[in-house]
Parts: sequence; C-alpha cells; structure tokens
Amino acid sequence: MKQLLSRLRSLLPGHPPAEVDEELSFHIEKQTQANIVAGMIPEEAHRQAMIAFGGVESTREACREQRPLSFFETLFYDVRYGLRGFRRSPMFAVTAILTLAIGIGTTTAVFSVVDRILFRSLPYAHPDRLVSVGLVAPIEPQEFMLGSSYYEWRDHQTPFQAFTSTVGVDQCDLTEHNPARLSCAGVESTFLPAIGIQPMLGRNFTADEDRPNAPNVVLISYELWRSQYGGDAAIVGKTISIDGQTTRVIGVLPPAFEFPTLEHVDVIGPQGLDEAAQRKAMPGAVMFVFARLKPGVTIEQASAALQPEFQQALNAAPPQFRKEIHLRVRPLRDRQVHEARLAAWVLLAAVIAVLLIACANVASLLLARAAARERELAVRSALGASRARLIVQTLTESLMLALAGALAGSLLALALLHVFVAIAPEGIPFLQRAGLDLRIISFTIAVSVVCGILFGIVPALQQPRAEALARRVSAGLRHHGLRQSLVIVQIAVSLVLLACASLLLRSFWNLRNQPLGMHATSVLTASLSLGYQRYPKPEQQLAFVQQVEARLRRLPGVNVLAISDSLPPGGWHHDHILAAIRVAGRPLPAEGTGGTVAWRWVTADYFRALAIPIVEGRPFREEDESSNDHFIIVSKLLAERMFPGQDPVGQHLQPGLDGPWYAVVGVAQDVKNNGLAADDEPEYYRLRRNRAEDWSRDSAVIIQTSMPARAMGNWIRAEIAGLDPTLPVNMQTMDQRVSQMAGRPRFETALLGLFAFVGVLLAAIGIYGVISFMVTQRTQEIGVRMALGATRADVLKLIAGSGARLVAIGAAAGLLASLLIARLMASLLFGIGPADPLTFMAVVLFLAAVALVATWIPARSAAQVDPLVALRYE
Amino acid sequence: MSPQSSELLQGTLDLLILKTLALEPMHGWGIAQRIQQVSKEVLQVGQGSLYPALHRLEAQGWISSEWAASDNNRRARFYSLTRKGKKQLESELANWERVSGAIALILGRI
Repeated sequence: MKQLLSRLRSLLPGHPPAEVDEELSFHIEKQTQANIVAGMIPEEAHRQAMIAFGGVESTREACREQRPLSFFETLFYDVRYGLRGFRRSPMFAVTAILTLAIGIGTTTAVFSVVDRILFRSLPYAHPDRLVSVGLVAPIEPQEFMLGSSYYEWRDHQTPFQAFTSTVGVDQCDLTEHNPARLSCAGVESTFLPAIGIQPMLGRNFTADEDRPNAPNVVLISYELWRSQYGGDAAIVGKTISIDGQTTRVIGVLPPAFEFPTLEHVDVIGPQGLDEAAQRKAMPGAVMFVFARLKPGVTIEQASAALQPEFQQALNAAPPQFRKEIHLRVRPLRDRQVHEARLAAWVLLAAVIAVLLIACANVASLLLARAAARERELAVRSALGASRARLIVQTLTESLMLALAGALAGSLLALALLHVFVAIAPEGIPFLQRAGLDLRIISFTIAVSVVCGILFGIVPALQQPRAEALARRVSAGLRHHGLRQSLVIVQIAVSLVLLACASLLLRSFWNLRNQPLGMHATSVLTASLSLGYQRYPKPEQQLAFVQQVEARLRRLPGVNVLAISDSLPPGGWHHDHILAAIRVAGRPLPAEGTGGTVAWRWVTADYFRALAIPIVEGRPFREEDESSNDHFIIVSKLLAERMFPGQDPVGQHLQPGLDGPWYAVVGVAQDVKNNGLAADDEPEYYRLRRNRAEDWSRDSAVIIQTSMPARAMGNWIRAEIAGLDPTLPVNMQTMDQRVSQMAGRPRFETALLGLFAFVGVLLAAIGIYGVISFMVTQRTQEIGVRMALGATRADVLKLIAGSGARLVAIGAAAGLLASLLIARLMASLLFGIGPADPLTFMAVVLFLAAVALVATWIPARSAAQVDPLVALRYE
Repeated sequence: MSPQSSELLQGTLDLLILKTLALEPMHGWGIAQRIQQVSKEVLQVGQGSLYPALHRLEAQGWISSEWAASDNNRRARFYSLTRKGKKQLESELANWERVSGAIALILGRI
C-alpha cells in the first residue's frame, strides 16, 4: 500500500513545495536551538542560523531541480510548448484540426452507421453461434423450411444445441378501446430460449400452449408495453383482445429485443401448428428456422451433418424441382444484412480513404513545419535534449492536433448522423438507432490516436542536423521527397474514390431513367388493408371497396380509376412458379420450376390508368367485370415463355393448378415488377370481377388525374375517412413510389459522392500546399534562374511540370487501383460495367484538371517573382 | 565553527550521506551535524548542497524519506537507506578505496 502511494506520488511533480519549506525551516530551527545552547540570545541565534543557511529560495529551487521530470510534468511541458507553438502559427493549427475533423468526423459518422451491420455483436446470447437454416428455392429469397420436413430435421439433427422455428410476422389488430394495427410474430415455444432471450417480465409460453386451440397467450414488446399499457407491470396475467380473440399477456420482452429477421414485432405468440398434421402434410406450413450451433461446430460441419435430412426432404419434393432446391446454413448476421453488407463496406472504405487523405495532408503540413523548425530542434538537441525526448515532444504535438481534430470531428459526426437519418430511405438496417455511444467514441479516439501517430511519426523521426544550427534559413527541400510521395498517394486514393462514386452515380442515373413500362406521372395510389375484425368476409371487403370507388369516381379530376391488390414496380405482389400454370391441351412441364411468375388482381381500367400498352389482343372491358367467365392478360415476357411462336390470345390457363380456368384476352407490355434493379419477372393479371371470390383485404386504388397530387390526395383521404375513419390509407404518387425504390442507391450514391468530393478537395489542398511550399523554398533559385535569363514561361513550366509529374504518377496508380476495387462493387452497379471506360476517362480528366489548377496557382506566383527580390530572399 | 574546515571533494558528499545514513535514519540537520562531528569539524556540509543532494539521492531511489516526530516532537523528514542505496554505498566505498589508494600511492611516491 505504502509502495503504491509512493509510486502514485512519484507521478506528481516532486515533493510538494510546502514539504520542502517545512524541511528547510526545521533545519533553521535546529540550528537556532543549537546557537541558543551555545549561548546566543534567541534573535541573534535565529539571525546567525539564517546566515549560515544561505539562500533559502535557491536551495528550494535546487532541491526541485534534482528530481527528474515525472510523466505528467513532461506531458505538461510538452503540451504547453505545443500550445505556444500553435498560438504562434494559428493558421497551421486551424488548418490541421479542420482537416482532421473532416476525416475523423466522416469516419465516425459512417462507422456508427455500419458498426451494427458489420461488427457489433447481435443482441442475443453467444450470437456467433446462431445460424439460419433452410432450403433455398426460386420462390423465396430467404431460406425457409416446410412443416412436412421441419419436425424430422428438428428431431434428428445433431450439429445444433437448439433448433427452432417461426412462421414469420403478420399484421394483426389490437381490438380494444384503443385499437391499433400491430405486427404479430408466431414462434415455437423453444424460440426465445434458443436465441437466448429472457422475458423482462413474466414468462415464455410452454410447448403445451403452442398447440392448435390452446388458450391464447402472448408476450408483448417493450414499446407496446410502454405505449399501450403505460409500462404497468400488472399487465402480465391480464387479458387483451387481438383480432377479436381474448388473449392473455404472459410476459413483456426486454427493451433491446430484436426479432432475428429484423422485422418490427409488437407481439410474439405461439405459432400453434399441429405437429402431427404438419408431419403428414404436403408440403406443410412455411417456416423460418434458426438454430444454435453446438460449441466448436462450424457451419460447414453443420451443413454436412444435415445432408441426410436434406436428401430426405428433397425426395419429398416434386422431382422436376429438385435441381433448383439447395440447403443453406448461414450466420444470422448474414441473413440480416445480406445486401447491406457490401454497401456498408464500400462506405466504410470510402471514409477511411478520406481519413487517409486528411492524415496525409496533415503529415505534409507537419513536414513543412518541421522543415521550418529544424533550427529550433537542432538548438534544443544541442542544449541536451535527447532524441527520445524530441520524438516524444513532436508526437505530443501531433496527438494534440489529432485529439482536437477528434473533438471537432465528433461534433461533425453528430451533425452528419442527423443528415444521414434525415435523407436515408427506409430499409437501411439499424440506421435509426445509430448514435455516438461509448463504443463509437472509443473508436473515434482510437482512430485519432492512430492518425496522430501516423502523421506524427514521420516528422518526429527526422534527426535535426547540426548544419541547421549554422544556417539562418533552414533548408526545407530535405523533406520534399516524402511530401511528394504523400501527394501521389492522395491523388491515387482520391481517384479511386472519385471513380467509385462516378460509377455509382451513373448506375443510379441508369436506374432512374430506365423505361418502367408504364406512365408514372400524374398517377396517385392509395393502398388500403382492411382489418380482420371489421371486414372478416370477402363480401364486406368487396362492398367497402365498391363504396370507395363510387365516392372517388365523383371527385373532379379523376380521369381513370382502377383497383388492384398490389402495385408495380416493386414491393409485395403474388407470385408462384411458372410450372404451376396449367395450359389447356398441354401436359405440365416435366422438368424445372420455370422461375417465379408475378401476378395481380386488377380491375378493367388498370392498363389505362398506368398507360400500359396492350400489344396483342384486347384490354379488359368494363362488361368483363360482371361476366361469369374468368379473364387474364399476360405480360409479353410470360407470353414468350409460355407460348413461343404461338398466339397466346384465346388460350386457356389454370394458374395455381386448381381453381377456375382463365381465358387469355391480351398481352401487355412488360412492366418493372421486381424492384428497379432486379430483372423483371414474367407477369399476369387476373381480372378482378365484381364478385366476392375475387377480393381480398388488400386493395390499391390507382387514379390517373389532372389535378395537383396534394389536393387530390387530401380529397381521397377525406372520402375514405368518411366511410371508415379508422382505416389507415397509404397515399403516394406513382413517382414517389418509384423514387422511394431508388432510395437506397440514392443514399449510397449521395454519401459516396460526398466523400469523393471531400477527398478530391483535400487532395487538391494537399498538392497546392506542397507546390506552394516548394515555390517558397526555391524562390532564390528561381531568382538566379531568371537573372541568368530564364523567362517567366520557363519558370512556370519548371514548377507546373513538377506538379504535373506528381499528378501523372498518382493518377496512374489510382487508375490501376480503382479498376481493381471497382470490380468488388460490381453487384452494386446497374446498367454499367465496373470498368466503364467513359467513366474512368472522365474521372481521370477531372482529377487531373483539379490538380493542375492547384499547381497552377503557386506556379504562376513563382513566375511573377521579381528576380531582384528573389536573389536577396533568404 | 572551525576555521580549518575544508570544502568537500566533488562527488564525495553522496558517499558521506549514504555512509551516515547506514547507521540510522536521520533528518537533514542531523546528517550535517554528524558529518561535522565525525570529521572533527573538518568537513562542513553547506545546506545549499546538502538538501539538493538528499533529494537527488531520493529520486535515484538510494534513500527514502518519511515524516516523523523528532526529539522535541517537531515534525521532521527522516531519511533512511534503501536496499538499493546499501548496494550503492558498497560500490562507492570500494571505488573510494581504490581511488584514494591510488592517490595515496602517487602522493607517497612524490
């Protein structure tokens, strides 16, 4: 303990001065006493003691100097020294700190967004062992399982310590005094324990409660608990009403709970599947399966161990589909962020590139400053400062800059995050929750320290030369080679940034300007989803929508009105495999699924409302809606697939292999139906007649109007609210819909574009700084050259030439690097190759132009040097 | 005070302090007195060099200090020899013997 105390004390500067004073005054007292004993009167004794002692002050000072400086003292002196230096050249300090703030701020902001996507562990127990297991087939992008095989797998699998399922998330209604539309997840009773989640209040449900016809029990989310039940713990054990059913709340989920599919979930309840029936069913319910690997088991081993079960499941599938079904076991994180991952890496790499450029700029600044300070360092070295001492001193200064940059950068990051959240589209995982927490702050500090050491170490390691003492002006050209290589790196890195950003920009342009196959302007859409409770029967649904239609048709400015159940160019729509369409007079295909086919229910005016051309046959007619027959229109793509070389009009189809037969009346032009970037799916349209059997809860009213969208939207809202004020209406113009689909690429493009801009700007500042420094250093030489007859043009050529050389080398290196790097982001691109020559040429030209302007300015001022002044310049 | 006092030889003060402290922990005044007495008033230790020396030796870890009550109950800083200091004393003593022996040889020869 004592040792610890004294060690702690040794960190503080010496003994406190008061102690030294006390020690010395004790000495004088003793001497006084001795003098008194020797026979002096007290005053004289004290006077003599003081005389004998000599200078108290100088002794005190001498005592202090005997002790080596403690760590903190050194730091204190270095910091004070550094501050004094920065105050002497505030421009330098401000430039360096601002540059760093830009680099560190953007890096921090982007890191806080991508952290959860790429690095942060998932909010479950031992999340690295959680995997998603299932079959991959053309119909569903995520791996899934079917009830007929799931229970077999669960009982016979060996690689997992837990194996559980969910039927997914669906809409449900809280039918109480305060009704609300909720998201309800149905899960197996082992679901929460398997992912390692404990209810915050209450309990999980048991296997007995997860059976068909068991009394309804649910766990509610923390948010629902707070918003709907005021955070009252007494809710546990009470009953609430969900979809009109009395349901007992048995628990509350913890605040940080996330459903593994990342879907929003308000309520979790038993999925209530009949296990025995599912085992026999063909194919059984669709489920999503999550499992926890046993410790030490890898995903590859688990995949291999599941092969027997997989083969068995495969044998149960229709033989013609087997080739298209695969087993997939992948980490939960991959399932959650599969498409966001590449974009996240691209953005992170981009900001790190910006940070590198910023660091290079500051290193270059420090090198220039070191050149100017060489004499000062040489003096300090001559006065006895050790080499280590000088390195520590220089590093302290660069770390001070870095930390100041980190502080300013954090503020910038906060502002940037607000901007990100404001401009970000939906569907960027976790963005809403991104913020500067302890983890991010530590990251920022770590980055700034690494940065500080990176750009500080080079100037720190320069040994001051003895000649620097003798010269009145220090020679700066020594560091010039180093600074030139920094510029080359900057040019190269910013070229890579610029190239990637331009590729994204052009791909975004392609995305937005591709033909949609329909006319999106002046079209308004209103999507309704009728609740289970108020509209349980298709008759009621039809009646309601007919009322809506009648009311809306009376509005002024409604040119065409159609109703479908889903909308292009993306989002939800029905689909099934092509092989599930039976053609009259033709056997079913023997092999393959044929891929997915999209389809919608539409009313007769659908094609007119969206201006989709009918290329063959005829559109649906008004009178078809009251016909007893069933009519269908196929897309051109589907017609080519199903009836190559034949006339599709007049054919009869039975989609889904059961139900009525439909007569093909026409072929419609292809319309984007699978999002903007993905390939179109073949599509067909079933005519939605005025019969309850053709209606469902989902309806989208499509209105082609000549009125301003905002006014029209308000009218539509008012009309629907007049019928059912509780019904949520999602109103969008078709243009907004399309634009929203491009939201994510737009976000990525905007961000990368911003970083590229900042990077190029910093690189331009860097090259400007280096060239103008070179000009100042070579002023005398320029004077001599001019005195000897060099023209201004010669000088201009000399200086601009050395700048151009740097730009050329940097651009060449950057071009090579970006050709390699762009290939990695090929899957983010749309309608453009990763080595698009036009883009690369434009980028190189642009960067060269910017860099040359940055060289030109100092070069011109060099050419304007007055030889007389320059010769005397020192 | 004796008129015959001499200035200390450079570097010997450390040795004297260490040797003095080898007997018992002592405060600064005591050390000065002890050196004076033992040398029969020949060696005078100036306070201007004594206290800086004490602080230097402490910083080097050869002696340590502690506040304690002195004879008349006044608080005083007592210095004592550390283990490292004992070793240092031994090596300095050996060195001193070697050097003084060598000097004696030269002086004897002349």
